[in-house]
Amino acid sequence: MINITNLQKFYRTEEVETIALNNLSFGIKEGEFVAIMGPSGCGKSTLLNILGLLDDPDDGSYLFNGIEVAKFNERKRSDLRKHNIGFVFQSFNLIDELTVFENVELPLIYTKVGAAERKRRVEEVLDKMQIMHRRNHFPQQLSGGQQQRVAVARAVVNNPKLILADEPTGNLDSSNGNDVMQLLTDLNEQGTTIIMVTHSEHDARYTHRIIRMLDGQAVTENILV
Amino acid sequence: MLKNYLKVAFRNLWKKKGFSFINITGLSIGMASAVLILLWIYSEISFDQFHEKSERIYQMYNRSVFDGKLWCWGTTPKPMGAALRKDYPQVENAARVTQGTFLTSVGEKHLNSSGYLTDPDFLKIFSFPLLKGDAARALGKAGSIVITEKLAQKLFGEADAFGKVIRIDSIAQFTVTGIMKDLPANTRFDFEFLLPWSYMKTIGWDDNYWGNNSVQTYVLLKPGVTEAMANNRFRNITKSHSDTKDIEVFVHPITKWRLYSKFENGQIVGGRIGVVRLFGIIAGFILLIACINFMNLSTARSEKRAKEVGIRKVVGAQKGLLVSQFLGESILISLLAGMVAMIIVQLSLSGFNELTDKHLSIPYGSVLFWLASLVFVMLTGIIAGSYPAFYLSAYKPVSVLKGTFKAAHALVTPRKILVVMQFTFAIGLIICTIIVNQQIRYAQARETGYKKDNLVYTFIQGDVEKHYTAISNELLNSGAVTSITKTSAPITQKWSDSWGYSWKGKDPNAKLDFCIYNVDGNFAKTTGLRILRGRDIDVKTYPTDSNAMLLNEAAVKIMGFKDPIGQTVTNGDDGKWHVVGVIPDFILSSPYEPVSPMIVQGPKAWFNVIHLRLNSARATSDNLAKTEAIFKKYNPDYPPAFKFVDDEYGHKFAEEKRIGTLSGLFAGLTIVISCLGLFALATYMAENRIKEIGVRKVLGASVSSITTLLSTDFLKLVCISFVVAVPLAWWGMHTWLQSYTYRVPISIWVFAVTGVISVFIAVATISYQAIKAAIANPVKSLRTE
Repeated sequence: MINITNLQKFYRTEEVETIALNNLSFGIKEGEFVAIMGPSGCGKSTLLNILGLLDDPDDGSYLFNGIEVAKFNERKRSDLRKHNIGFVFQSFNLIDELTVFENVELPLIYTKVGAAERKRRVEEVLDKMQIMHRRNHFPQQLSGGQQQRVAVARAVVNNPKLILADEPTGNLDSSNGNDVMQLLTDLNEQGTTIIMVTHSEHDARYTHRIIRMLDGQAVTENILV
Repeated sequence: MLKNYLKVAFRNLWKKKGFSFINITGLSIGMASAVLILLWIYSEISFDQFHEKSERIYQMYNRSVFDGKLWCWGTTPKPMGAALRKDYPQVENAARVTQGTFLTSVGEKHLNSSGYLTDPDFLKIFSFPLLKGDAARALGKAGSIVITEKLAQKLFGEADAFGKVIRIDSIAQFTVTGIMKDLPANTRFDFEFLLPWSYMKTIGWDDNYWGNNSVQTYVLLKPGVTEAMANNRFRNITKSHSDTKDIEVFVHPITKWRLYSKFENGQIVGGRIGVVRLFGIIAGFILLIACINFMNLSTARSEKRAKEVGIRKVVGAQKGLLVSQFLGESILISLLAGMVAMIIVQLSLSGFNELTDKHLSIPYGSVLFWLASLVFVMLTGIIAGSYPAFYLSAYKPVSVLKGTFKAAHALVTPRKILVVMQFTFAIGLIICTIIVNQQIRYAQARETGYKKDNLVYTFIQGDVEKHYTAISNELLNSGAVTSITKTSAPITQKWSDSWGYSWKGKDPNAKLDFCIYNVDGNFAKTTGLRILRGRDIDVKTYPTDSNAMLLNEAAVKIMGFKDPIGQTVTNGDDGKWHVVGVIPDFILSSPYEPVSPMIVQGPKAWFNVIHLRLNSARATSDNLAKTEAIFKKYNPDYPPAFKFVDDEYGHKFAEEKRIGTLSGLFAGLTIVISCLGLFALATYMAENRIKEIGVRKVLGASVSSITTLLSTDFLKLVCISFVVAVPLAWWGMHTWLQSYTYRVPISIWVFAVTGVISVFIAVATISYQAIKAAIANPVKSLRTE
């Protein structure tokens, strides 16, 4: 599903050039659940942003379902993203002014799904995430675990092929963290490819494979399944 | 999607009530100001544009050289109208117009009413619809009168006035042949009745003299006749009918009457269009300043909304969609502000009308008005929202969602530039207001040359002329009046001028124009004018004084008299006059201009007005009561009407006072709007720097040092605005003052005072938030962070 070859990303300031990704290459098959691990600043999040088409690489190739997307412009990236990729963040990133229902509904609006269909799909996913009873609440009225469930619901409501999770349990206690990991595992078992950046060895154990990074390069790979 | 946008927009408005209040208040004040000014501008540009044949209507104008300069004027000889109708096939209709105030009576009801004596074509040229009567024939007969609805109501009450008889000056009877819809506010014409021109002959006002330019002549050209063709054809009409060889005639189109009436060297150089443009610019700036508030507050809050932008982008929103979302929000706010603005306009309209001397109203029934309002609201929303929309939608979701995003704090940011723009305009307006008011005070303080207090005048009407001697004697004997004189015009108005005078030593080729004023005697005593040389006109002591004249200093100078007393001055048919005295250059017309050379002719001339000096030792109300009683006794049909010269003189400053008051009002509004924005910016600044303030306090900074730190950034912007505003305001006011010969010098202290006021206002606005942030507990602020 994903094939990156010699991916490079630099961050430049007036005085310093930092290599975030250094000729990184690997592939991820459809249906895989992969953890990316490594110390802070090793390039995990940069990689996730490029994979999620939120950022573009300075060099190298990125094939998504066989299509070269590394040089896609903003419009093409946005189109590909909204139909194929869901995101889960450490800090949930829900819109405070929208209710649970409206937050989850948002991706469907941008993919121009009709109102009735939107309602059906949002309710279905909220039900699945067991937060249906909170549908009219605002994010500030929810616990961290509930907020992350909403974020996961939003990520999956469009039935994306790929979910990118950036430390999804980083702001949660262990109980809520486990719940979220179980949710992701369930989604993966239903066929969704998941790439998760994490510091947690515990969370990584839920995945099929761990790619460990250091200084912008993949140093080892552990296959768990 | 729209529903989603609206939800977010309303929830944002509700959540940030202070921000919303400031935004909507500022924008609505700006919009209300702009709407009021636009209503005023509309009333100006629509002046006399409602006439159906307006593209073919012209006023006849003359141009000729006096004193080496080409002058233009809009009064014409009385026979011109008839000549145009008779000899010029290009003319479809022509009408002469002159104004008169007459006593209009029905039964025992007497009213002094002002109307026009005109030709029947007047109603064919102009679109003043008759509610009753036939416009084509209404003024066709000598005994006919057309009256306005309002006059009909005043004279006849609810009864039908059509076909009824009205007495004019108690001597002539006229039958109402037309009742006209009341005149709209946006016309130059101001009359309550129209009388046929034939009445001019009855009262002896008509003449066939091509050298007397005393009436307006209007023409309706035939279709296809252009302005250039008319000018070419009419150029020599006066020359061909008289000995005058240097007066050219041209036409001035109705479309230019109101706004383009200032001529210099024979060419139109502007007129009220200058004020209209100025007000247009002010309206635009006030609206822009309100929009700038919106821009600044929206971008200042950007960090709060950055997350939303990031999330929307992540889930698939493209930049265009986000731009339209934010523009939609600003249009929504603009719509809310527009509604508030409409209420403000409605509530303030009567005050604004009083201030501008207008009768503006909101045309609620006009579809065009609502369409224009919608466009106005949309446009305001787009102007206010465009910069924030592009600014916010440009955020990179990566940095926003990772929490590494911080809005730029560069040395020069668009926000700072916008604040500088706001305060530049506000400071500029403060400077202008001060200088306009200084100019008014300067002109008001100018010596008029006569004593205005206790001086009143009234027009000679009815039997006053017949009983003048008796009235005069009785007034003086009553003790209410100490002196009395008949004059040709009120002492505050220039009614007549002439270039037909000759004297010994005059250059035969020189064409010099004199202001003409007539008095029957006691002029100096009544008005308080000093006699500089010779004596006043006094026909009782000097019977030959019926042909005596006084000259002002400017006339003596231009005539070149070393010893003016005893000199003879001739004026065509009016014969010989001899100079008996010299008076100072007293102000008859504009207090801003030099006094023109003036000839004051003695009792042989014509009179319209009586000036009375009331006894200053007695109460004015008693003096007036006695004076009115005496006039009523000898002229019972006419309600006595006296005007105080000091009040009338005060009217000369009305236009400048209006500009000064409006400039002050706009300056005040601009400051209010700008300060609302500054206050909100200071609030956000304090919020954004809360951690910095906490750290500084922990490290030992005092409240005053933190307050200074927080205020300095804004004060710098106000100071930059001041530096930008000063030369602009100086240039603007310098240009404005050039139109006045008597003008106040622009002094440095105006700028100094404005600078102090601006800094004071800015400090007062910012200090609340700065002090609040400075005295906050650092432990709390650091924990918050």
